[in-house]
Amino acid sequence: MDADSDVALDILITNVVCVFRTRCHLNLRKIALEGANVIYKRDVGKVLMKLRKPRITATIWSSGKIICTGATSEEEAKFGARRLARSLQKLGFQVIFTDFKVVNVLAVCNMPFEIRLPEFTKNNRPHASYEPELHPAVCYRIKSLRATLQIFSTGSITVTVLKRKYTLPTPLDSEQGPT
Amino acid sequence: MACVNPVPKLYRSVIEDVIEGVRDLFAEEGIEEQVLKVLKQLWETKVLQSKATEDFFRNSTHSPMFTLQLPNSLHQTLQSSTASLVIPAGRPLASFTTAELGASNSSAGFTLPGYPIHVPAGVTLQTASGHLYKVSVPIMVTQTSGRASILHPVQQVFQQLGQPSMIQTCVPRLNPCSLQATAEKSQRLETVPQQPPILHSGLVHRKHFENATSDILVPSGNEREIMSEALLSQLESSQYISVPGVMFPPQVSQTGSPVEPVLSVSAGVTQNLNGGPLSTGRPGAQHQHMTDTQLHVLKNRMFGCDSLKQPRNTEETSSLPVSEKESSSQMDLSNQVTDDDINEIIQIDGTGDTSSNDEIGSTRDVDENEFLGIVEAGDLKVLEEEADSISNEDSTANSSDNEDPQIDVVEEDPLNSGDDVSEQDVPDLFDTDNVIVCQYDKIHRSKNKWKFYLKDGVMCFGGRDYVFAKAIGDAEW
Repeated sequence: MDADSDVALDILITNVVCVFRTRCHLNLRKIALEGANVIYKRDVGKVLMKLRKPRITATIWSSGKIICTGATSEEEAKFGARRLARSLQKLGFQVIFTDFKVVNVLAVCNMPFEIRLPEFTKNNRPHASYEPELHPAVCYRIKSLRATLQIFSTGSITVTVLKRKYTLPTPLDSEQGPT
Repeated sequence: MACVNPVPKLYRSVIEDVIEGVRDLFAEEGIEEQVLKVLKQLWETKVLQSKATEDFFRNSTHSPMFTLQLPNSLHQTLQSSTASLVIPAGRPLASFTTAELGASNSSAGFTLPGYPIHVPAGVTLQTASGHLYKVSVPIMVTQTSGRASILHPVQQVFQQLGQPSMIQTCVPRLNPCSLQATAEKSQRLETVPQQPPILHSGLVHRKHFENATSDILVPSGNEREIMSEALLSQLESSQYISVPGVMFPPQVSQTGSPVEPVLSVSAGVTQNLNGGPLSTGRPGAQHQHMTDTQLHVLKNRMFGCDSLKQPRNTEETSSLPVSEKESSSQMDLSNQVTDDDINEIIQIDGTGDTSSNDEIGSTRDVDENEFLGIVEAGDLKVLEEEADSISNEDSTANSSDNEDPQIDVVEEDPLNSGDDVSEQDVPDLFDTDNVIVCQYDKIHRSKNKWKFYLKDGVMCFGGRDYVFAKAIGDAEW
């Protein structure tokens, strides 16, 4: 529970998911035909548009809702989302960049030690749930932070945070040390 | 050499099939056969122009082999003539002497070099496809590329020639030696060399230029080939086309595939020869008709702005790339949509995601509340109202309207202000013209690795068309 040690740990944000709205109906077919780097999934009614510069993949619905994934930081996510909206604008749609919200941040980090999962689970009863037959990791939830951690026996941890303006290292801070 | 190019044959067969298939329909509709021929003509011209296939008119053998047969009688003529012909391609310039050929009946084969070859009168040329051309007038033969460059020489020749020559009816003559004309290519036209035209094997176009003299010579063994009347009338105004001394020996068998050779010839002949489109009389008239109309077309082109301009002339000049035509006729594509279609399309997907105003308002409400301290209730209501009004108005917002900053959730700026943000660094990295139009069996993607399993397609690659039944591709994005 020592804040300093968290800093030493290399925690890496691997994915930031965000949504925004364009406030206008989007003609998916037109995007699919005229847009660059698009995949049209007609069966589910969405268009995927991939951007190279901030490496992101956006799922676009005709309602104007857009989900943007793959960014490596929140700023980049916003940057990419704006770029995307800009490219839609260039296609001719009257988009307004509204309701931008980061919904999910995924990060990984590695503990320098192995973790004994069954013991860990026993000690962290309410928060940790472990079902080895279903999934090899312990699922540790921190409700207050809305974070979900997947703790593997090798010591690598995947942290998923439903973003509410919390900084990422926090879940690790509050986590109990290994037993 | 590379294996036979199947594309021209394929295109030919497509054209033939379509024309045949449509023939009945046209007849039913009361449209005359001539229109059909014109259509075919136009189509082929466009294919040529598009340079989509090489040797479109060429026969199955693609090497422009020429066999020279020297008739006995020409021995003397040849020797006296100043012109000469090259047999081996390697030799520079046309210096062919009868001596090289040896016996009068000797024949030699050679491949046309890139530059024009001067062919003295009286020589019989036989292309690899078996077509015989007897040269009655000293002509220049060049290799054509099958593009519309057939026409270019004519046009250029015209320009260089300047003055229209007189037109006279052509009298078919058999004996090449009787050509007086002509001038020994003193007037060589430079035009042809510029183009890399192709040798076509069925249809023979010849542009023949004549200088001042009087006689016309169209020695064609087949009178049918020469139809002067039609040409003459057109030629009135200025220039003309002539099909000079080339004849189609009756025994020439047009091969099944309607590939026709074209000899692009310019010669210093004086008079207008009217070679006229090869005639209707000939059996297997289809090709003839084609040549007929083709010649007409050529003439029209040459006349340019004269009275001869016909609608089809203009049609030809503004044409779609033929490859597209070919592919559309050939391929079964469902995804060709024009802009109009796009605008009029009613979207049938995405229905799962409704976007009614009320819903937007309510969701915004919920979302807004979740933002901690970002938006105050008062602002929220304002935003909601504005949101509703905006969506009603079908917001035009992009440009920096005053409303936008308010509509956009608090910290958002109107998009255009983020211009620097949005510009893609590699916008259209390679807006190529290389297109593949095909059907797909499977398209697969993993992360940024793509695999394509395609079938039945036409590729336009580097201006050329290639056809495939199956294609497999890998790509990384």
